[in-house]
Amino acid sequence: MDSLLPMTAFTLAGRFIMHALLVFSCAAGISGVVDLFRSTPLFARRSGILPGCVAVLFVGGFLWICWFHYQIFTHISLELPAGMVDWLNRQLAAANRGQAYGLPLYDPVSPPRYCIPVWIENEKYFFWFMSFGLMAFWTHCRMENHRLRAVLRIFLGIQACILFFVADPFQNPLPKFFAEIAPWFDAGQNPMARFGLFMRLYPKMVFYYNAEYMWFHPPLLFLSYAAITMTFIASIFMLARREQSVEAMGYAYAKFGYFMLTLGMLLGYPWALKAWGPNWWWDPKICSSIMMWAIFSTYLHTRLYANKKWMWYFTSVLGILCFAAMVFTFLASFFFPGEHTFQ
Amino acid sequence: MKKKGSYDYYLILATVGVLFVISLICVFGMFYFKAAQIQQMAPAVKAAYMNRMNTVVAPFVIMLIALLGICIPKRLLPARWLDWFAGGLLVVASGVSVVMGVLKGLLVVLFAALVLQVVVLGLAVAGSRRLHFEKTGYWVRVGSSLVHLGLVLFVLDLFFYEQQTLHLVLFWITTGATVAGMLCCFYSESVVRLIKGSRQRNADAGL
Repeated sequence: MDSLLPMTAFTLAGRFIMHALLVFSCAAGISGVVDLFRSTPLFARRSGILPGCVAVLFVGGFLWICWFHYQIFTHISLELPAGMVDWLNRQLAAANRGQAYGLPLYDPVSPPRYCIPVWIENEKYFFWFMSFGLMAFWTHCRMENHRLRAVLRIFLGIQACILFFVADPFQNPLPKFFAEIAPWFDAGQNPMARFGLFMRLYPKMVFYYNAEYMWFHPPLLFLSYAAITMTFIASIFMLARREQSVEAMGYAYAKFGYFMLTLGMLLGYPWALKAWGPNWWWDPKICSSIMMWAIFSTYLHTRLYANKKWMWYFTSVLGILCFAAMVFTFLASFFFPGEHTFQ
Repeated sequence: MKKKGSYDYYLILATVGVLFVISLICVFGMFYFKAAQIQQMAPAVKAAYMNRMNTVVAPFVIMLIALLGICIPKRLLPARWLDWFAGGLLVVASGVSVVMGVLKGLLVVLFAALVLQVVVLGLAVAGSRRLHFEKTGYWVRVGSSLVHLGLVLFVLDLFFYEQQTLHLVLFWITTGATVAGMLCCFYSESVVRLIKGSRQRNADAGL
């Protein structure tokens, strides 16, 4: 792949961003731990600099990932010899007959290209944590509570460590994708083997990598995950002390998170119909997502009565439960097999 | 008013209870799916599994739809009428179920809920003060009505999953209603600012 794509440049610059992210986030996290146990914060006026740097680095890294995907779009296509086109299109037309959602015919003038969304494989963690980083920075600038600010910085530190040590998107970029398409660029394949490979790669390109829903369904869910994390932090503070501004902050993120979650789940539905056909699939991830949505709905309804003493605490417990359900839903992709599995 | 409070309370308890049972069935389904390796089975075995799970969950979905049918009119009707309405609806739905099947009975409940929710939305848009909402504010009420209309439409849409065009059209209407409803409900102040700003601009332009 090195001859086709600027892999080395992407990895080198990306690793630099990741190291800088780790340094700044860990510094933010350590300062957060210190501030959490002090009655007055250290460097109160400058405490926003570190989360600000982290947010800038996240955005820079994300733009770098976007550039790399543009390189994939411009340099990688599933091009077939001219003599094969008519035969292939006859096969595709025959396969499409009677199907509700068929595969587009091959156009030799513009062979199919990979237009991959910027939140697949390890990149999804980067997008998710970037969303949290931006929300944390925004909240850090607006809230006065120094302990809340400290916890936000601790979460930034934890997430950057996860990203750096477990899910670095730059160290080995898109390993599954490149493992899938690497045989396509092997020299000396006979035409029938190439045709067979095309028929394996093309449906996945159409229904997964290039699916328009990939641009909406996953990012909306990751935005909601980031917002749920903010609501979780606010809920912990609500359990400790009745502070109206923290509750208002948690509710604002809960509304945003619920909006994104509902829209994201809804937009996944027509895609599922296209890919799996009309049925209730009993897919583990869908089951757990519906549970999370039900808990979140309950949280928003109980919040209407949050001015009553016990409802205040019940609402905050539900906010924490929402976060637990989100973690369970996300980890379900690793543990349970199904259409959403990461196994 | 005390009666309405208790009525609401029991409806919420019943809804939470049914949702809890459905969640437990979902969790059971997840672990069973993994333990029985359904993913690697032949399509016929997968289909049999889905049908079995559908059968297990069906009574609770029916209960949820019945609760939806009882919950919707609480915005419109005084508390003392709700019992009569709920009883009447259940009798009609049970009668239709006995004569024409359970699916038709559920459709009756859903259509009744849909008609009532459309009336609620119409009254909310007209600014009626006779509706019973927890929150005040014109856009919050319109938004809440739209979100609940979206919910009713979504459940109704599941009945038409085999009619692809109708299913998708209804689905996009559901999505539109839900999104517009959440925007109005959650960001009512921004909606008001947007509309006032637009009116101001039109006034400045002499329109």
